[in-house]
Amino acid sequence: MRKRAGTGFCSGLFSLAALLAGGCASTTATDFGADPAAVELTSTPFFPQERYQCGPAALMTVLSYSGATVTLDELVANVYLPAREGSLQTEIIAASRRAERIPYRIDGSLASISAELNAGRPVLVLQNLGVSWFPRWHYAVVYGIDPDRNLVRLRSGTDANRTSKAGTFLRTWRRSDNWAIVVLRPDELPANPDRLEYFSSISALEATGHLTTANQAWRTARARWPNDLLPLFGLANTELSQGNLVRAEQHYLELLVREPTHAMARNNLAYTLAGMGRIPEAIQQLETALKLPDLRPAVANELQASLDEISSMRSFSVD
Amino acid sequence: MNANKIARGQPDRFRRWVMDIVIFALLSMGFAQTSQAGVMGTQLALEDGVRQQQITKLEDFIGRKDVSQQLQALGVSPELVAARVQNMTDQEVAALHDRIDTDPAGGDALALIGAVFLILLILEVVGVTDIFKSV
Repeated sequence: MRKRAGTGFCSGLFSLAALLAGGCASTTATDFGADPAAVELTSTPFFPQERYQCGPAALMTVLSYSGATVTLDELVANVYLPAREGSLQTEIIAASRRAERIPYRIDGSLASISAELNAGRPVLVLQNLGVSWFPRWHYAVVYGIDPDRNLVRLRSGTDANRTSKAGTFLRTWRRSDNWAIVVLRPDELPANPDRLEYFSSISALEATGHLTTANQAWRTARARWPNDLLPLFGLANTELSQGNLVRAEQHYLELLVREPTHAMARNNLAYTLAGMGRIPEAIQQLETALKLPDLRPAVANELQASLDEISSMRSFSVD
Repeated sequence: MNANKIARGQPDRFRRWVMDIVIFALLSMGFAQTSQAGVMGTQLALEDGVRQQQITKLEDFIGRKDVSQQLQALGVSPELVAARVQNMTDQEVAALHDRIDTDPAGGDALALIGAVFLILLILEVVGVTDIFKSV
């Protein structure tokens, strides 16, 4: 009798739970990837969070592990949003750039986390520890997995060694659209890089003014994808932005030998030459570019504007 | 939850006016550092489309100003705002502008009450949630 009552109560709990969770209480397949082995990056530091400040604490964990010079106080000042009582993903990303690291979003699978851990990098994740109607958004750092015991190991909040069942972790992670990033040094590549995602991460660093780091990262990218012209273009652009005109010219010329119809490279080469006072050569480059077939109107307009600007420099220069 | 709207209740117009000028100055410094006239950044090549740069720059500037004000309204001190926004790309600024009140803000898992606590305890036992230390 007693036993039966207990079973009834239990199954009642489960159906109630299933109802509350919107039917997602079903078992979740845990796939750690091909040939999964247990990994534990035991030297991952731990920064216990203050109230509402798991964002800065988790970010501090991955940044200091990668050797960035940054303090927890700085991160709190740069990512914590008081009225939201938490930190936004965009600001976590921005603060990683401020620490001269490349924030790279890995694809959302345990296999990808496993690959990054095996490459020696802990992974910062966003979880919803609650449910969709009662969200408890939380940042934590995965520093280990144990496929045999079906466990994920986290530095989480005030818990230095939290172990979650892989299925539970996956459910809490899925509610954040499986958001996970690694913070890369400019000499590091993601374990399984998505080329365009990685290039995009570097160009964002470039666009926000971190030119030295972006320059190094473009070199890393060029070594990995020697046939791709974008890293070379990025390399040239970061040299130009830093005022290294001689090196910028070399890179643009190399690029244009390989791809003579690269109108943007020719445009930027023109500014490089103009910066060295070689106005006639700059004008010649732009005129060449403007004669390219199949030039899109937006690009043609930019080239024409550049030509007008650089031509006007000539009238001021003293021969 | 529209804290920024409350802040627009202009309690101190002069102060805000001064703040705007400070933010303008700080942001302009950022621009001077990153963009030379007419040079096309790598992002443009990556996106495979040259947008009309002048228009973009103007929109971007307005977007950054708005997001800066939003961040201030949400409690970020004025002297930190410019540096926070400066490390975001145009696209990130535009997206944040629309979603700053709704994007997930990772905080912590505590602060539970009554009935919600009970329900979550049940969900915790069956492995849907992961809030408590060890159940």
